Amino acid sequence: MNPHALLATLAALALLPAQAADMNKVLRVALNAPETGFDPAKVSDLYSSTVTENIFDPLVTYDYLARPAKLIPNTVSALPAISADGKVYTFRLKPGIYFAADPAFKGKKRELTAADYAYSIKRHLDPAIHSPWSFLVDGRFVGGNELVKAAGKGALNYDAPLDGIRVLDKYTLQLTLTETNFNFLPILAMPAFGAVAREVIEANRDNTNAHPVGTGPYLLKEWKPGSRIVLEANPGFRKLVFNATPGNDPVDKAVVQALQGKTLPQVGRIEISVIEEEQPLWLSFLNRQLDISGIPQVALQNALVIDPKNPLKVRLAEQYARQGIQLQRQLLPEITFHFFNMQDPVVGGDSKDRIALRRAIAMSFPVSEAIAGIRRGQAVPMNYIVPAGVAGHNPAFRGAPKYDPAAANALLDRFGYRIGSDGYRTRPDGKPLSIELACGTSSTDKQWNEYWQKTFDTLKIRLGFRQGKWNELSKANHQGKLQMWGMAWGADYPDGENFMQLLYGKNAGDSNAADFKNADYDRLFEASLKLPHGPARNKLYDAMNKIAVAQQPWIFGDIRMRSTLAHRHVKGLKLHPLLGTSWRYLDLQK
Amino acid sequence: MLAYIVRRVWQMVPTLFGVMLLLFVLFNWVGGDPSYILAGKNLSAEALAGIRQQLGLDLPLPQQFLIFVKQVLTLDFGTSWSTQQPVSTLLHSRIGPSLLLTGSILLLGTVLAIGIAALVAYLRGSLTDRLVTLIATCAMSVSALVYIIAGQYWLAFKGGWFPIMGWSDSTLDNLLHYLPLPLLLGVIVGLAPDIRFYRSCFVEELGHDYVRTARAKGLSEPVIMLKHVLRNAMIPVVTSLMMSLPYLMMGAMLLETFFGIPGMGKEVVMAVERSDFPVIKAITIYIALATMLFNLLTDIIYKLIDPRVQLH
Amino acid sequence: MPHSASPPPAAPHPHNSLTRIGWRRLRRDRVGFAALCIVGAYLLLALAAWSGLLASHWQDEVAHPYAPPTLFAGTAPHHLELSAADIDAADRRATSAAAQDGSGATGLSADEDPLAADLAAAEQQSAQYRGAEQARADSLPLGADQRGRDVLQKLLQGSATSLQVGIAGALLALAIGTVLGALSGYFGGLLDDALMWGYSVFTSVPDMLLLLAFAAVSGRGIGTVVLVMAFTSWTGTFRLMRAEFIKHKGRDYVRAADAIGAGHGRRMFHHILPNVGHLLLVQFSMLTVALIKYEAILSFLGFGVGVTQVSWGAMLAEAPAELLQGYWWQMLAVTLCMSLLVTAFSLLADSLRDALDPKVK
Repeated sequence: MNPHALLATLAALALLPAQAADMNKVLRVALNAPETGFDPAKVSDLYSSTVTENIFDPLVTYDYLARPAKLIPNTVSALPAISADGKVYTFRLKPGIYFAADPAFKGKKRELTAADYAYSIKRHLDPAIHSPWSFLVDGRFVGGNELVKAAGKGALNYDAPLDGIRVLDKYTLQLTLTETNFNFLPILAMPAFGAVAREVIEANRDNTNAHPVGTGPYLLKEWKPGSRIVLEANPGFRKLVFNATPGNDPVDKAVVQALQGKTLPQVGRIEISVIEEEQPLWLSFLNRQLDISGIPQVALQNALVIDPKNPLKVRLAEQYARQGIQLQRQLLPEITFHFFNMQDPVVGGDSKDRIALRRAIAMSFPVSEAIAGIRRGQAVPMNYIVPAGVAGHNPAFRGAPKYDPAAANALLDRFGYRIGSDGYRTRPDGKPLSIELACGTSSTDKQWNEYWQKTFDTLKIRLGFRQGKWNELSKANHQGKLQMWGMAWGADYPDGENFMQLLYGKNAGDSNAADFKNADYDRLFEASLKLPHGPARNKLYDAMNKIAVAQQPWIFGDIRMRSTLAHRHVKGLKLHPLLGTSWRYLDLQK
Repeated sequence: MLAYIVRRVWQMVPTLFGVMLLLFVLFNWVGGDPSYILAGKNLSAEALAGIRQQLGLDLPLPQQFLIFVKQVLTLDFGTSWSTQQPVSTLLHSRIGPSLLLTGSILLLGTVLAIGIAALVAYLRGSLTDRLVTLIATCAMSVSALVYIIAGQYWLAFKGGWFPIMGWSDSTLDNLLHYLPLPLLLGVIVGLAPDIRFYRSCFVEELGHDYVRTARAKGLSEPVIMLKHVLRNAMIPVVTSLMMSLPYLMMGAMLLETFFGIPGMGKEVVMAVERSDFPVIKAITIYIALATMLFNLLTDIIYKLIDPRVQLH
Repeated sequence: MPHSASPPPAAPHPHNSLTRIGWRRLRRDRVGFAALCIVGAYLLLALAAWSGLLASHWQDEVAHPYAPPTLFAGTAPHHLELSAADIDAADRRATSAAAQDGSGATGLSADEDPLAADLAAAEQQSAQYRGAEQARADSLPLGADQRGRDVLQKLLQGSATSLQVGIAGALLALAIGTVLGALSGYFGGLLDDALMWGYSVFTSVPDMLLLLAFAAVSGRGIGTVVLVMAFTSWTGTFRLMRAEFIKHKGRDYVRAADAIGAGHGRRMFHHILPNVGHLLLVQFSMLTVALIKYEAILSFLGFGVGVTQVSWGAMLAEAPAELLQGYWWQMLAVTLCMSLLVTAFSLLADSLRDALDPKVK
């Protein structure tokens, strides 16, 4: 053959997208709660991000196997160059990455450029979009605040030059932060910062949630809101070959054996159902209508053989192990806690008698009993504001007070919370004492409420429940109307700052739900922002935790151990603390 | 007849207005604030204010109500607050599964119930009659929840005869695989009360003079039942059927939730949970309209079946 | 809501003799009388539970979680009971192991805690609050639930709550429907038009929607459930009473009352109402049945009674989780108990209708 023709043919073959995904391989999974939509700048719930994670590409991502989580380049050719003062991040994109086909591209192949990332990040600043993630970028980029102010109530001017987010050339993006921050990069790994194409957004302005078009391994094929989502492999996805060397971890070894040398993704089609009730979800998995599933709390004792002396040590029940079902477990990087409204006239404030009241309640709440009863032992008590798996965690710190309702009762006696003739305590000034706990309406909430009832009955304090949906209660809390409520916070990125900011005075009325304002804590927090993760910052974190434990704005809850089951034919599964799904790394070998 | 129809249609207007007023008061006073859900983790005052403005919640109430009126007149309820999908697309995709489910339950259930009821009415007073009535009464006393939970557990999971849950795009697939179990459970739940009701209709009819006359004339019981009684008893039967048609659109909420059928009933629960006012508005208005129309249709059919009936 | 089949029209017999006739007929109807006795028994038990004579300590955790019924103790699935102590021990092991090879702080020290001195003193004075651990039973007559509470006691207390809710709701719905229906039927005219307008509005909105909306506003608990059910169920009674009042207001005895100077109120509630009372009785029993079943569904959806109270619906709400783990006794107990009452009530309603029907010989 003509050498030129040969060369041309080879070149053409090399340019062909590697479509290795097998459309006959269909992965069936379920979401526990309905999704909202798929515009990365508009959705923040866990369920929507399982999908946006697979459609859009952020600049960087996490290595699939490495633990603790390690950032690796995704669409960039290498991790960014960071200036010495920690303020300037420079990213170089890999050329040859294309968006999935869409009518907005008018039949042309659309390449991913630095301008797309600039646009995607700016969308989070746009007042007209109200991104739920704006708190991560507000005031972070040089000139950002001015641009937002110039927009007023209208849309952001995307074409105006912005010093903090600059496109140096087609593939180079430069971000300049207003303050030193060595922990900024993990934020860019979030699916919320995946690249979107401006033409697609503008063509679907009214309904961006239904038209996600990205450079990721999957595209949205079908969507029945609240019911069913179907993803199919993106034929234009860049060639990605799995390459890793396993360590000693048997899970890693299995993954490498299943995937080494293969192009990703292998699974051609993903069918996601929304199943909110636990019984049908569990039964569907057992009936092989789902390939992967969690274990609902009621089925934990049925599915796992739990060692009573060490409840976290489990193995899969015989009947399921025989079918080749795989079990993987992971402590979630989250915290759950109940908080007091620190501005409340009855339970808030920093005088000793109030601290004593809160401390007494914390000492009487049977966390371990609740873990045994509700979680079937599959959780650990929370002891530190930053959970395990997140930079800044201190595994030796014991933050929860010792469970001792008798001493708690005596403590209340000491501070004048006398028991009245009706058997209930009064406030030190003699006025009647009753506390209201806000809660949800699900059956799990009801189970927790029974433990709270027991807590307050032991302390002889009158307890009322205020039930409501999450959004109603959130509104009431913002208006300062709640006395006590429970919350959970999952890591948005693996850095302790994401957790310590929950008690920062300036976040009161926002993510600081307890409205906790302590000058010492705030001072330590601001100092910690300037430090990278390390012993110096850990010392500050310890000091902050001590303040939180002493003042007791929170009653520490528990941290769940997530169990995931997969059928025998699902290969390549490894639970990742920060990646919501591992779908692109899976293979189905029926 | 035409004048009557026109008058009735005209009378629907105040009712529709009343429904709109009720909805509006309920959800503007009662319903949760959706801006909190949409704001996610970012709960700053500006973000919330912005969302409220976008949803039109910062306008004065009378103005919001006028917008509502316009929406009803054009039957365009805008976009869902939680998913930002146009409400009409959402509902059109949900109606199919609901109608299939509740329609088939109604059909099968009615045929079975009428058949059994006619039989026991024919045998009234006998042991069979008393036994069937007793069984029906007992069956009625068990909560629908128990039937669904137990049915799904034993028939689908333990027995393996049906899929646990699910729904597909192909109607054939649905008819063969996903519909049978929810259909069976839906029929069982409704069968007992229907049998009792139809039986009482038939028994009442059998007590009428013309039946005695027919017997005196020498007609056999089966002929009396089939030719005379059934036709006359049809009126309450038809009424009951027609009255339940609008509720077909609601879907069987419990069944849809447990079996993962993407229908209207499930949509309503989700919408109330998320304070998704546009979706709730739309569904309620549609069903209110359907109810009024079917009422009218029932009265017209009355007149056609029984010329003695006076419409006023 | 079940559409009440229109009952046969009653001839205007004077109050007393219809009741006497009806009572005599009911006594003769064996099934109806048995049903009456059963309902009466339930009401007595419920009253006892409500007043605290029975099952007042239903919340006490007297048995191990999921203890089986005594007769079936052998067949229960194995339940591993984890204790708080084990969780604590595991937690302590983990933190002390970490403390050994770390350099971070291990917790709040005494001089960092503003309450240190008070806690120490409290520790000394806590003896009076330390109670003895009570032994937990291994099995109970009807078994135990997840917290180890006696299903039998819950059942008794739950019956009281469910009956209370059903009856109160029915009475309220009846009251609303009767008053509005009486006014509408008796006065006619503009008032009738207005009330009929309200009626058509309420019957055009699906029950579930109305229910969910009302429940969302007034919080949770028994009061809400009663109100919510009353507001969605008054329409049947309204239509019935309106028809009756229209029919009766033209009758001779009413005109006679007018002649002797009885006012409208007196005519409506002193003269007409007793003549339609028997219809109300039947309506009441049907409504109670419907509302008891409704309560179960409401509780399942999360709108039912709170934590400090138990009802049949609340017990049923625990059923799916229990069944999945193989614990059948609570669901069976509630189903049988509820079934018996509802069946008895329905049969009673039927017999009442037959007994009070003047046309039946």
